[in-house]
Amino acid sequence: MDSTSNSPDLAADNQRRAAIDKSVRGPVLFLFLNGAFWLMLSTLLGVLSAVKLFAPGFLGDCEFITYGRLQPVHINALVYGWGIQVALGIMLWIMARRSGQELRSGKGRMLAAGVFWNITITVGLLSILMGKSTSMEWLEMPKFVWPVLLLCFLTYAWPIARMFGRAIRPEGFMVSTWYILAACFWFPWIFITANVALHCLPGLGALGAGINAWYVHSLILLFFVPVGVGAAYYFIPKITGQPIASQQLASFGFWALALLGGWTGMQKFMGGPLPAWMVAVGSAVGVILLVPFGLVGLNHHLTTLGKHDAVSYSPTLRFIFFGSLFLPVTGVILALTSAFWTGASMQFTQAWYAFQTVSVYGFFSMCAFGAIYYITPRLAGCEWLSVRLIRNHFWFSVYGVSTIVIMSLVAGWQQGADLNNPEHWNQDFMNHVINSRPYVMARAIAWALISFSNILFLLHLMLMVAGLGRRSNAPTLLHRDHGHDDTHTPAQASHA
Amino acid sequence: MSAPAHPDSTDLDRIHAAVKREKADQAPSNAPAPMWAIFLLMLVSIIAGGQLGGNTGSLSFNTSNPFPAATPADDVRPGGSGAGDALDPFALAMKKGSSGYAVCGGCHQGNGNGIPGQFPPLAGSEWVQGGTERLIRVAQHGLVGAITVKGQGYNTPGGMMAFGAAMSAQDLANVLTYVRNTWGNEGTMITKEMVEKVRSEEKRATQWTEADLKPFADKNVAGDIPAGPGATAAPAAKK
Repeated sequence: MDSTSNSPDLAADNQRRAAIDKSVRGPVLFLFLNGAFWLMLSTLLGVLSAVKLFAPGFLGDCEFITYGRLQPVHINALVYGWGIQVALGIMLWIMARRSGQELRSGKGRMLAAGVFWNITITVGLLSILMGKSTSMEWLEMPKFVWPVLLLCFLTYAWPIARMFGRAIRPEGFMVSTWYILAACFWFPWIFITANVALHCLPGLGALGAGINAWYVHSLILLFFVPVGVGAAYYFIPKITGQPIASQQLASFGFWALALLGGWTGMQKFMGGPLPAWMVAVGSAVGVILLVPFGLVGLNHHLTTLGKHDAVSYSPTLRFIFFGSLFLPVTGVILALTSAFWTGASMQFTQAWYAFQTVSVYGFFSMCAFGAIYYITPRLAGCEWLSVRLIRNHFWFSVYGVSTIVIMSLVAGWQQGADLNNPEHWNQDFMNHVINSRPYVMARAIAWALISFSNILFLLHLMLMVAGLGRRSNAPTLLHRDHGHDDTHTPAQASHA
Repeated sequence: MSAPAHPDSTDLDRIHAAVKREKADQAPSNAPAPMWAIFLLMLVSIIAGGQLGGNTGSLSFNTSNPFPAATPADDVRPGGSGAGDALDPFALAMKKGSSGYAVCGGCHQGNGNGIPGQFPPLAGSEWVQGGTERLIRVAQHGLVGAITVKGQGYNTPGGMMAFGAAMSAQDLANVLTYVRNTWGNEGTMITKEMVEKVRSEEKRATQWTEADLKPFADKNVAGDIPAGPGATAAPAAKK
């Protein structure tokens, strides 16, 4: 759009990037579309399981929809159906773009792996509903599921890592690609370790619970966080047109996360039958992780500085901006649940749900939405149809997830403080359950709002993938209510 | 700027529009981190370090509780930390019964004196300190009609409800033990087994009257009473 785009170099570069987009089109759109479907399902189940928590008789006494089965299905659909699936799509696209590599071969294998991934998750989640849950958090799906999921993941991770290897790149730290490359290696490590330990080693005793908690923490800190941060580091400079503010902060943040991310988890069982030092180390690291999270947040803040108008009209930047705002919040909640002073009141309460929601939904999913709003028009060859749908999606998500996180945190604090209060020794446990009902109701309402916006998001994405989007040279921007016209200025056109 | 609507359009200009409007990737710059941020993160590190120290239990694999001697003196739970091994069942029943009495106190009042003419007193009452059989039956099934307590006549419309029916045997036993040993009352402890025995013998759905209960006035339900103050309290029941 600007005058320089007519120079031969830039024209060739444009052709090259368009060719890269075309080469990853199939797998990436497949992952996005299926991910959005699971997201919608997961949020609907979030409503239902929250309702089941305060009204167990809702929809009858059918065993398949009891809270104990719905809640794991809700979380597993969110983590494996939406989270990891869409993360693979984002990783593939960003790595291809940043490495300047087309996807040469393996597109068919990737699509097959994607189909297997979705079938496996469907079978796994149905097994949970049938009562075949393993009762291990985030690993509730039956034993046979994990080797299939691992192979499917590697089918994507290997070509992504190869792209990085083939890239012609300048020396030094490549912020977004390092995060994504690391995620390619960290996920298999975490996934294999946890599954082998929990499914194949007999007689773990209490340590098994600790390993399970380590798995959940590590999957968040060493997979969802690097992918989300990698996307934010890619899209914020891309849209604001400013370079990443500080190379040093970025590099320090990465290495701090790499060194510290795998040490947390055991603190979930503080005061429990685990060696005290394991708990203490998890607790200390859970607090000190605020440092890398704070540094990354600071770096994003400095990069966005002076370009905040772009947040208001670029859908991508708006989602990413709030996603990266939720990163330090994730760090604070992790620190609160980890430190001994506060963790003693928050362990085994709804505060745990607040941490899962803020990290997987508040931080990661918001970044993923931003990435999807950027990537999809390039792959589908058409522009997003409706400003209003995007805007609704944004506001419902932000208010919804904030409500869930705040409510769960306050409810958790209240539950924990009440349970620990010696004066309450003769209180019925049911009283604590009844006291937390208002918070759970608020959670149900918030998930309902989010579900509504995610149904619209899925429809919007389906239309885009079907090629039924807007045919135009101009991006869909949020700068005014009737955003369907093409009257924006060229300067703004470069923001999407 | 609108373009042809056909998806197979060969209009490269439009197909590549999204690519063309992108901004170029740039190398990161070297902005310094603000000082306040460094101080804040140092504070975080100090707090994090505070989680280590004594909490690590000397890095031993055999220590799961690094502070075994921690016994808060103000722990009010009977049998809570610091109570020792011996748990006095009588004290436990009195403690639990005192909170269970909140239900009874609505009519019989907190001081156990009732309200003249309406609700009979529990303090010093021969109904309470007398045979355990009659007391359990009143609480379990309720009582209706005119009765005489400590020489005064009482007749409440509707009488006393069958409160015990909705309580667990243990809760009912705790409350009755409490009532029998407060406000100067003295009586043997009533155990869960006694309440269960009465429940299994008597399944009536209607309230008792004073005349119905006459035969049970001085009867005690058979059953073992745990050793301790609950067993040694002088039974005031007229044998």
